[in-house]
Amino acid sequence: MRVAVDGVEVEVADGATLLDAARAVGRWVPTLCFDERQDPFGACRACMVGVEGAPGGRPLPACTTPCRDGMAIATEDPTARRVATAVVELVLSELPEPPAPHTELAQVAERLGVGELRWPGEVHPQVEADTRHPYLAFRHELCISCGRCVRACDELQGTFALTATGRGFHANVAAGLDEGFRRSACVSCGACADTCPTEAIAEVSLLGMMEVRA
Amino acid sequence: MSRNLVELVRRHHALDAPTALEVLKEAVELRGEVTDDDRREAARRSGLPEAAVHGVSTFYDDLLQPRGARHVRVCTGTACFAATGGAHVEALRSAFGVELGERADDGSVSLAETVCLGFCHSSPAVRDGDTIDAGPDVVARVLADACVAAEEPAWESLLAEPVLTRPGDWSGLARVLADGVMPEQLLEEVEAAEVRGRGGAGFLAGAKWRFARAAEGEEKFIVANGDEGDPGSYIDKYLMERSPALLLEGMALAAYAVGAAHGFVLVRSEYPLSKPALEQAAAAARADGWLGDDVGGSGFAFDVTIVEGAGSYVVGEETALLACLQGLRGTVSARPPFPAQSGLHGLPTVVNNVETLCNVPFVAARGAGAYRALSPDAATAGSKLVCFNERFARPGVYEVRFGTPIRELCEDLAGGLREGRAIKALQIGGPLGGILPAQLLDTPFDFAALAAEGCMLGHGGIVAFDDRTSMRDVARHLLRFGAHESCGKCFPCRIGLQRAHALFAGEAPIERERLEALLETLELGSLCAHGGGMPAPIRSLLCWFPDELGLA
Repeated sequence: MRVAVDGVEVEVADGATLLDAARAVGRWVPTLCFDERQDPFGACRACMVGVEGAPGGRPLPACTTPCRDGMAIATEDPTARRVATAVVELVLSELPEPPAPHTELAQVAERLGVGELRWPGEVHPQVEADTRHPYLAFRHELCISCGRCVRACDELQGTFALTATGRGFHANVAAGLDEGFRRSACVSCGACADTCPTEAIAEVSLLGMMEVRA
Repeated sequence: MSRNLVELVRRHHALDAPTALEVLKEAVELRGEVTDDDRREAARRSGLPEAAVHGVSTFYDDLLQPRGARHVRVCTGTACFAATGGAHVEALRSAFGVELGERADDGSVSLAETVCLGFCHSSPAVRDGDTIDAGPDVVARVLADACVAAEEPAWESLLAEPVLTRPGDWSGLARVLADGVMPEQLLEEVEAAEVRGRGGAGFLAGAKWRFARAAEGEEKFIVANGDEGDPGSYIDKYLMERSPALLLEGMALAAYAVGAAHGFVLVRSEYPLSKPALEQAAAAARADGWLGDDVGGSGFAFDVTIVEGAGSYVVGEETALLACLQGLRGTVSARPPFPAQSGLHGLPTVVNNVETLCNVPFVAARGAGAYRALSPDAATAGSKLVCFNERFARPGVYEVRFGTPIRELCEDLAGGLREGRAIKALQIGGPLGGILPAQLLDTPFDFAALAAEGCMLGHGGIVAFDDRTSMRDVARHLLRFGAHESCGKCFPCRIGLQRAHALFAGEAPIERERLEALLETLELGSLCAHGGGMPAPIRSLLCWFPDELGLA
């Protein structure tokens, strides 16, 4: 089927999502919970785009919405961008410190031009970094519950060492019975650290480098 | 929902393993809390990885609130709020010296929050052990350790012949089987009747069934959504407790039409009498041949399993409901895939609300024409159950015609407010419904008419706030509930509702522009109707009661 992204027509396969179509023509759509190695999750809602004729003119999440023949997608639809920007603002506002500049979250925020955070408030409590594992360290206060680490462990590694925990604002992630990676089923593959957009899970060597730099 | 975890659950279910949630619930019942040993045991018995079990154990209210020798659950639902403004909660906290969600150091008593016990006709309500007591003097009785079971509400039909407020008699299924009605014909009849979902969204039941019937799958399921979480609504509670056979008949008919052989009812744990009532009705139906391998000697096979939830509002959303039914965290999944394609155990599943399914036996027995004639002057076919909170003079559950003016429901049927108080505003259809001010009481009780006023029919619960209620308190109450119940999956709801609640919980004047931008983000950005719907009542309050909200 054919769809148009920002006026550029493209042929996409059955089952392709709006995000697939946008990427096929090289258009940028902000994403935080998306990793192309994993099933779409639809949690972050940063990937909102406009679709001509959508019910109520509402923006749609690009990563979980399938293309339909003849669709016209606007990646920079003002309403969609407004929602995406607000979502990223909210995410930044839950962290006790700004994300490191090289992280995916910081880069998405910069590209969207996120400025003042309009809804500051409670942040995730700062806890001591969990460094009990030789290669992987947890900094729970940097977790934005995007679910990428949990899905990496589930879908890519098949180890199921990680889980989402809690609910609402207090949602987070944990390894095993929340006793750290070392006492969980973790096989130290590093897929979780690789996909984490905030360095809530990072390789220990990288943490060490950051500490040296600081 | 993780496809791998769902497959693990499916394989273990086939071996009759319990779900992780079932094992964790047993542990709480037994020991009053969940320990790591319980989690390991749950993982071993259910086949779920330990981490996933840990995730489940940190999600549900019933697993998170420790229990003392005496476990007191206080209802903080909207009807109880409308009755006392929260004074009953404060009274119990200070008398017991225990915070909500905590247990006394000596383990003698614990206080838990619950939303809601479904005794909205007699608020406030408290569950002390296994006794649910309710009414203005309930706190005194709790403190005197003298709780008595609360009186049950009125249960009446205004129709010449009740469709919903009647015990099921299996006559619909009997006619279908005796007359040789084919599954496709029954489906067409339900489509022609235009039975709309009664759980809130109003989606056509026949359309859902059609998708599931067409979907490929070696097995299909019917799931009745008995997680009536809307505070202020106690309709499904009484359908499950007074008309359980009607629900089971509706499920059997759905199964016949769709090609399913098994059904599940997910009953919320806040309704401890519902599961036993359904199990008793199922046992009677098996004895009478209405459930089993050869229903009514027709060769049609159908049976049901009744499963109890564990305390989560969002589990009323269909994908979260299916996650809960499989013993997983009750979080929402993006659709597609829709449950009709890939639901329980990854197989085609119809998820219908309890009241929706209770409409089906009438359609099967009497046909689409008779069903459509029930509300002759309305846009929506069939009849509707409506219930009223304790502020009304005659609260209860009533079966009414669609399109009845809301004023007639409130004043003639429910007798207006007690003590001659004036209605300040109504919240209809649960916490995600807009607030209807008193000047709009002539609005007809129907989907489109209410939507035009920024409100919704929702589940049909009507909560009145009287002239003493502060609308800022209403906003704070609703947003506290919203933030607490967010499943935590999508970012706008997870963070945005916490922020919205903080705005109203604080003392500072609220900047309207910032609030409106937050509401837009919730409404347009959220994954499900929870975050998407919470702005509706706040918008109504901004429209009708701006002076009471403490805006800058």
